[in-house]
Amino acid sequence: MTAAILAGGRSEPRWRSIQRVFGGQETILLLCLIALFVIVGSINPRYVAERNLSSIFLGNAYIAVAAIGMSMVIISGNIDISVGSLIGVLATISGSLAVGGYPIIVSWMVPLVVGALVTAFMGFLVAYLRIPSIVVSLGMLSILKGGLISITAGAWITDLPAGYGLAQMRPFGIPMPIYFMVLLTAAAALWMRYSSTGRSIYAVGGNAEAARLSGISSKRTIMTVFAIHGVFAGIASVLFATQLSVIQSTVPPNLELTIITASVVGGVSILGGIGTVIGSTLAAILLAAIGSSLIFINVSPYWLRAVQGVLILLTVLADLWRRRRQMSRR
Amino acid sequence: MLRILSVATTLSLVASVGYAADRWDGADELEVSPLGCEAGAAPTVVAKDYDGGQPTSPPDRAGQEITVMDVPKLIGIGYFAATTQGMEEAAAELGNVNVTTDGPTEANIDDQITFLDNFITQGVDGLLFAANDPVAIAPVLKKALDKGIHVVGYDANSEPDAREWFVNQAEFNGIAKAMVDSIAAEIGEDGSFAIVTSTFTTPNQARWIAEMWAYAEQCYPSLEWLETVEAQEDNILSFNQATTLINKYGEDLDGLFGMTSVATPASAEAVTQAQLCGDVAVVGLATPNAMKPYVASDCVKSVVLWNPVDLGYAAVQVMRAVVDGKLQPGATEVEAGKLGTLSIVNGSEVLLGAPFVFTKDNIGEFDF
Amino acid sequence: MAITDVIQSERRRPALSHWLHHEVVLALILVLSLLVLATQTDRFLTTENLLNQGRLMAEVGLVALPMTFIIITAGIDLSVGSILGLTAIILGVSWKNLGLPLGAAIFVAMSVGTFAGFVNGWFITRVNVPPLIMTLATLALYRGLAEGTSQARSVRGYPEWFFELGQGEILGVPTQLWILCLAIIVAWLLLAYTAFGRSLYAIGHNETGARFSGIPVDRYKMIIYTASGFMASLAGCIFVSRVSTTRSDMGTGLELDVIAAVVLGGTSIFGGVGTIAGTVLGFIMIQLLKNGLSLTGVKGDATIIVIGSVLILSILLTNFIQHRRGDSE
Repeated sequence: MTAAILAGGRSEPRWRSIQRVFGGQETILLLCLIALFVIVGSINPRYVAERNLSSIFLGNAYIAVAAIGMSMVIISGNIDISVGSLIGVLATISGSLAVGGYPIIVSWMVPLVVGALVTAFMGFLVAYLRIPSIVVSLGMLSILKGGLISITAGAWITDLPAGYGLAQMRPFGIPMPIYFMVLLTAAAALWMRYSSTGRSIYAVGGNAEAARLSGISSKRTIMTVFAIHGVFAGIASVLFATQLSVIQSTVPPNLELTIITASVVGGVSILGGIGTVIGSTLAAILLAAIGSSLIFINVSPYWLRAVQGVLILLTVLADLWRRRRQMSRR
Repeated sequence: MLRILSVATTLSLVASVGYAADRWDGADELEVSPLGCEAGAAPTVVAKDYDGGQPTSPPDRAGQEITVMDVPKLIGIGYFAATTQGMEEAAAELGNVNVTTDGPTEANIDDQITFLDNFITQGVDGLLFAANDPVAIAPVLKKALDKGIHVVGYDANSEPDAREWFVNQAEFNGIAKAMVDSIAAEIGEDGSFAIVTSTFTTPNQARWIAEMWAYAEQCYPSLEWLETVEAQEDNILSFNQATTLINKYGEDLDGLFGMTSVATPASAEAVTQAQLCGDVAVVGLATPNAMKPYVASDCVKSVVLWNPVDLGYAAVQVMRAVVDGKLQPGATEVEAGKLGTLSIVNGSEVLLGAPFVFTKDNIGEFDF
Repeated sequence: MAITDVIQSERRRPALSHWLHHEVVLALILVLSLLVLATQTDRFLTTENLLNQGRLMAEVGLVALPMTFIIITAGIDLSVGSILGLTAIILGVSWKNLGLPLGAAIFVAMSVGTFAGFVNGWFITRVNVPPLIMTLATLALYRGLAEGTSQARSVRGYPEWFFELGQGEILGVPTQLWILCLAIIVAWLLLAYTAFGRSLYAIGHNETGARFSGIPVDRYKMIIYTASGFMASLAGCIFVSRVSTTRSDMGTGLELDVIAAVVLGGTSIFGGVGTIAGTVLGFIMIQLLKNGLSLTGVKGDATIIVIGSVLILSILLTNFIQHRRGDSE
């Protein structure tokens, strides 16, 4: 019985933490990223110009931020495919409040609260009423999307007040979304590694039964994870809404796929229990950098998506080879 | 070792596919018919027999109340919200038309067919549509005609024999001429430009680009055509793609075309945020409301579009005229309420007019 | 002792009664909503309308059958929509550009689609890539291949006989509905009455255990992912015939419709639980709800809200009933 708990609880020998620093998926992603910058940069130096690097980060930071929350959800053994619709809804709420004359800070904060409420409700359905998360989020996807269309009919939100453009601000010359991406990733990584709640996410995702027996309430943990995910979706939606001076008030196509791809390419196991948010952020950047690089090296646009698919596959294969090597080294 | 190998494979793959991109010029096999280069060149009117279809023994509803369903490409976007508004205006004015808009939430051919099929079963008097694909939509439209339902298209056509009339907002070559003339005026006849479009498979966009290419080749042979990128109907993706183009070409880029009402404002935003207003011109199809900030700041000088409210209005007027028997095959013009008399072109198309170019002076007069 | 018992009792409860209950609940909801919708409009419960709905749901239905197999083994296949698109494009290109006879073009296209499914299965079993990640990657890859091959050109102008498949009728019933019925019967027999079918449940319950008890897990998985590719490509051919053109964006989003139908039918995403009857009820329900609501004048945006709610509520209801049962036992 003790052995079962230990095996399920994913105790971590010291070699694994060393491995985690030097041999993890994060390292592979970082190497890929650097190699991509070097190679594409040598073909077309403008790719690595400060301006383009800044654009890659700026334009995709919201994906990285949303992928943090998504990674937590996946690590806990769940998934949320409604996140794209949720971000669309929250961005519309934020913009409507700003145009409606509410203080700007309110229009930035309300999406976080609403996001947390919506996802906490989903977490409640998953944890307490035991509906699989894929069912809950499939249903929620339709509900949020249908609701958004019913209410806005696709009317764009324009005439946003001055000072609303959070994502367009550049404190110390660096675009605001980059601060959000870096700080939130660091905070989430530390929280997941050192706080007891953070660690219990891994335990619940790895082996819910063992986690329960070692005194972790998996229900409460799952609900907390979903609520936190909603906050990250809220932050992402504000970055999304404030990037341009109009808000489209529709659901961004395929956004949930992009976010989930960033999480899984970042090394988060879809089976739960493994992965880090640093990996998912790096993966979000890598995917964006690949997309941009294909334009820079003149890949025929027809083949763009095929190349992206191959690259995702290769990144995942690299991770599998790495794990296999670790196993044999053991 | 394996890891290095896999990284190397990844990157060699990236490098190996890096052959020169083809210029994308619309890529369908249909004929192009570029207009003359001089200002105001109008399409040569070729007399053509009526080539639309006919409903099978439709009930006579002349002057009576009719129920019409409108199925646009998708619902929940500003453009089709504007056409719906125009339809409701026309219905209110006529007083004997009930028009309802409903359709798929994504521009999906299968979903659109399902909607049309449901309305045929429901038994309406008339169907309005904007096709996601001209061929795919044809069988279901023919089914409607077989059931005695009147069918009129607008915005995006189907095969002619699958509907009675098509309200054409502006001819492809007319749009192409307006777009290319506008950009040439801004960046000079030897400038270079890139295009941000929705997807390569969207029929209208593909036709415009094909016509633009033919027209530019004929009238501005030294315009440099850099490349075309896809950006779905996604605001932020359009912004990112436009920014990437700006970063890639640097000062070699003089202008950007936005081919959708989403891509154009996003391209303008990208130019604004890169602080290149005046250096990179943006010309495109867009609705005025979304473009007002950029036109006001002088970042965008001309926006090309027809008035989608008028387009919806005309579609309902044409439907009424068809039901009342006032628009018969062989007609050369049709009365369309406040829009006056619209002419018939290409056998069975009602032409709304020439494309409209919004500028700083007149954009404030429009609200859609 | 404590742990194994807890785990076992958790497992035993759903095994026997879970699916039976869900199907009954679902069938009741279905009948009830049909009756309600039928009172709202007299055009809903007509033979013509129902047969027509059968025509429209054939593609989703065909793909949902192997998807049920896959989800029962705790796997998933997100690439089905892209395989459908790829098949359509290969069909068009090999007929028009390569000049093959249409019959041969259909054969080539379905071979490519089936091979695409095989590639998924090969990577999942031989390289141990998790199904979700593998098919997420091929979702992009296959769609990309379709776009690259077609160069955004659509192929039209097929000969008249080809339209029999998607627009024709045999004995007054749409051609594809016959195909769908045949496929349902085969899938049902396979799953319910063969060692292969039982093995799928075993794999979904406990893959390692299934391996130890001598079930050829990898081979079976390879078969079901290949079957998924095959059915997606069959659906692709039917779809091309129904709409009489090919485009590289065909089948976009199909995977979510299919998965919704399968999970609505009571197949557990965690594996080990599910039936063909449930899946059939699932896709019939979604199709008829969409149709019935539309006929009664409910708009598209409200319809998807209803569908989303039904999905959550039906599973909730089943869980509730089962929970009560579990307590009283």
